[in-house]
Amino acid sequence: MNRRAFLLSAGAAVNCTRDRRPRLNVYNWSSYIDPAMIQRFENERGVRVRYGTYESNEEMLAKAVTGNSGWDIVFPTHSHLAPMARNGLIARLDHARLPSLINLDPRFQKPLWDPDLRWGIPYMWNATGIAYNRRETAAPRSWTALWSPALKGRITMLDDPEDVIGCCLLKLGMPFASTDERQLQAAKGEAIRQKPLLRAYINAEVRDQLVAGDVLAAQLWSTTTAQAIHASPNSNLDFAYPAEGYPLYCDCVSILQESRRYELAHQFLDFLLRPDVAAANARIADTATANGPAQTLLPHDAVLYPPDEIYQRGIWPPALPSAAQRNRDRLWTEIKAAS
Amino acid sequence: MRDRALGLYAGAALAFLHVPLLVLIGFSFNSSRFTIWQGFSLQWYRAAWSDPQLAEGLVNSTIIAICSAVLSTVIGTLAAYGMWRRTAPLVSGTLYLSLVTPEIVTGVSLLALFQWIFRFLRLPLGLHTVIVAHVAFSIAYVTIVIAARLRSYDRTLEEAAMDLGANEWTAFYRVTLPVLAPAIAAAALLALVVSFDDYVITSLVAGVDSETLPMVIYAMARRGVSPVVNAVSAFIVVIFGILVLISQRLQER
Amino acid sequence: MKLRTLFLLPARIWMAIFFAAPLAIVCAYSFLTRGDYGGVERPWSIESYTRLIDPLYAGILWRSLWIAALATALCVLLGFPLALFISRAGKRRNLYLQLVLLPFWTSFLVRTYAWLFILRDTGLINTALTGMHLIRKPLPLLYNDGAVLLGLVYNFLPFFVLPMYAALERLDPAVLEAAADLGARPMAIVWKVIIPVSAPGMAAGAVLVFIPCLGAFLTPDLLGGGKSVMLGNLIQNQFTTARDWPFGSAASIALMLASALLLAWVMRTRIAKEFL
Repeated sequence: MNRRAFLLSAGAAVNCTRDRRPRLNVYNWSSYIDPAMIQRFENERGVRVRYGTYESNEEMLAKAVTGNSGWDIVFPTHSHLAPMARNGLIARLDHARLPSLINLDPRFQKPLWDPDLRWGIPYMWNATGIAYNRRETAAPRSWTALWSPALKGRITMLDDPEDVIGCCLLKLGMPFASTDERQLQAAKGEAIRQKPLLRAYINAEVRDQLVAGDVLAAQLWSTTTAQAIHASPNSNLDFAYPAEGYPLYCDCVSILQESRRYELAHQFLDFLLRPDVAAANARIADTATANGPAQTLLPHDAVLYPPDEIYQRGIWPPALPSAAQRNRDRLWTEIKAAS
Repeated sequence: MRDRALGLYAGAALAFLHVPLLVLIGFSFNSSRFTIWQGFSLQWYRAAWSDPQLAEGLVNSTIIAICSAVLSTVIGTLAAYGMWRRTAPLVSGTLYLSLVTPEIVTGVSLLALFQWIFRFLRLPLGLHTVIVAHVAFSIAYVTIVIAARLRSYDRTLEEAAMDLGANEWTAFYRVTLPVLAPAIAAAALLALVVSFDDYVITSLVAGVDSETLPMVIYAMARRGVSPVVNAVSAFIVVIFGILVLISQRLQER
Repeated sequence: MKLRTLFLLPARIWMAIFFAAPLAIVCAYSFLTRGDYGGVERPWSIESYTRLIDPLYAGILWRSLWIAALATALCVLLGFPLALFISRAGKRRNLYLQLVLLPFWTSFLVRTYAWLFILRDTGLINTALTGMHLIRKPLPLLYNDGAVLLGLVYNFLPFFVLPMYAALERLDPAVLEAAADLGARPMAIVWKVIIPVSAPGMAAGAVLVFIPCLGAFLTPDLLGGGKSVMLGNLIQNQFTTARDWPFGSAASIALMLASALLLAWVMRTRIAKEFL
């Protein structure tokens, strides 16, 4: 018994830091911030930032829901802000402590999902479209390109129910966030029709295969495509925003309700809103930033920042009510289990 | 016995186990980040060396693995011995059940437990919660290995010792334990590996300061194949290769 | 038997607090209803269990059982000779054991990615075969059941080899020599002496492989291209994307019950009374 107690306390002792500076615990998507910016914040405020990463909203939620995860700041996607607020997971933001709020791009000053910017500050955004190989296939104009028999075995879709079902709905000319049973069944039929042509349901890992030419057309995020293009300039990759419409996602930065560092957290949020900081972060993350002045500091990228008429076709998926969510999950299981 | 055929087969099997590893190491020297060979380069090693997250992940993983292996081997060996002396259906049933539980369920259930307990104790998730979780699922592995060994162990040896005046403890400690030593080492190794390699349960119960190596690697790998991961793996393989050699030398002495 | 009780105490306490109690919580969850945003809430209901009878989920279970059984059989076939070899390797035994374990000091994910390198359209195998003009178009080696099986066997082989070895290790070579002296041919010795005697180890190893294969989700996901659903994927999905904890809990309890029954059956037919 004694030995175990000793070992347990040794484990706990390792946890203690000898650092006396105040701490801020930031939980973010991976590769979504410039480490130099974290350093700068630490030096300016004389604090220590503890930085952790996650790969999906669900991972972050699993921690946030416990109420004692230890994290202060998280980056939920926009459709999660309302449910998280409703469940008391995130704290109300105090605009008085955020003078740099005016730096937000006008399109994000009064966003659809949070017009008063009460729960989260828009950070970075991207879209889902079609990444394709310019040399092997013509530029896709519609989602139908991903059903093309000529590309059999060289097509991939995202491993995400919202994106896949939504895209099938758009292909049929139906609303992205439809909850109509008949429309959803039709969308499911499309997805199952596509399966024999599909190579895999895969997310960011498909980047490799696009560059290597294994995959010729993929449903993919603009960020990942931009990263692939920048990393291999002669890979003939390009990105298309389909004509029927496409989903847009905005990752916002919020403060967890459990956090005991309200003041310091706000200082960090304000810090992120500075144009030079936002530009540095966007450069590292290879994503579109929601910060207005920062965009002028960055080279223009047609993949990440579509022109206005294309941007207008974008759809911000809302949070679905519980019953609709369950229905979609069942549809997703059916699609995946179909042979 | 057709020992040569067996030897050839073993060679092929070991090759099967190691070829993916060699491929991995080979590509860690690739100067491109994608899986097309574009020249020799050490850049990924430099990147891995200067990555504080990786270093910390490695330290955390090692601490957790050692603590968890020690604890689970002790608890598991004692339990296996106790069950060998006289069956304990409840304990063995629970241990088997723990093997049968999917990792995600173990992880989620422990998270729920910690949520309740620590609400009263105000302790956050951390290294301790990970160690506790790892021990919980490692004990079963240890017990199975030791129990399999004990099944063909001669009970009369202990009885003879006791006839000669030894008490229960001495009979165990002086007679049975030395015989079990190789199996205990094998079980400890298994517990070590299972702990070091775990991703699912760890990611659910880890706290702010307790990122393990698999968590760091998974995060990197999800963003696309990163040769930095290859470099880290190559590094680890070499280190353990050296340890293997040292352990072999010690045994020949 | 005071010593025995003392020895069992640590295991009893640990498993009670950190396994049984959490499991009871999961069991309770399976009878509750899905909260609006994940989590659970009242009313109590058995709805999660009735959803399981759906043919959709039965099909998924069947498929998972089949693949797990195949993977286990392959591990036994491939692992037994290897374990036999190691147990007869004299002083080098530990070296070979370490060699078997060595790949597993890296992350499981990394090992799976290594197979992606090898099996891809432009991976090692296809490039080699195309280079030797043996094929014209790349073979689709990845994103199918075969790749998943390969990944499972590759990852779980040591889980079979170690207990198999532990049981084989105590085989007295003199017994084998005696059998040979009495005229038994090598294959007969394997069948009639080695295998029966090491059966407990074989069963232990098979169990250690079958169970995780049944609940596996990372391997089918990465190597199977996410195109099919195995039980592990279904359950994992409920606790993450779907945020339907009650249904996930119900599916998990069902899976555990099925596996536990299987386990009990195997134990009864294979091994003698003294086990459970």
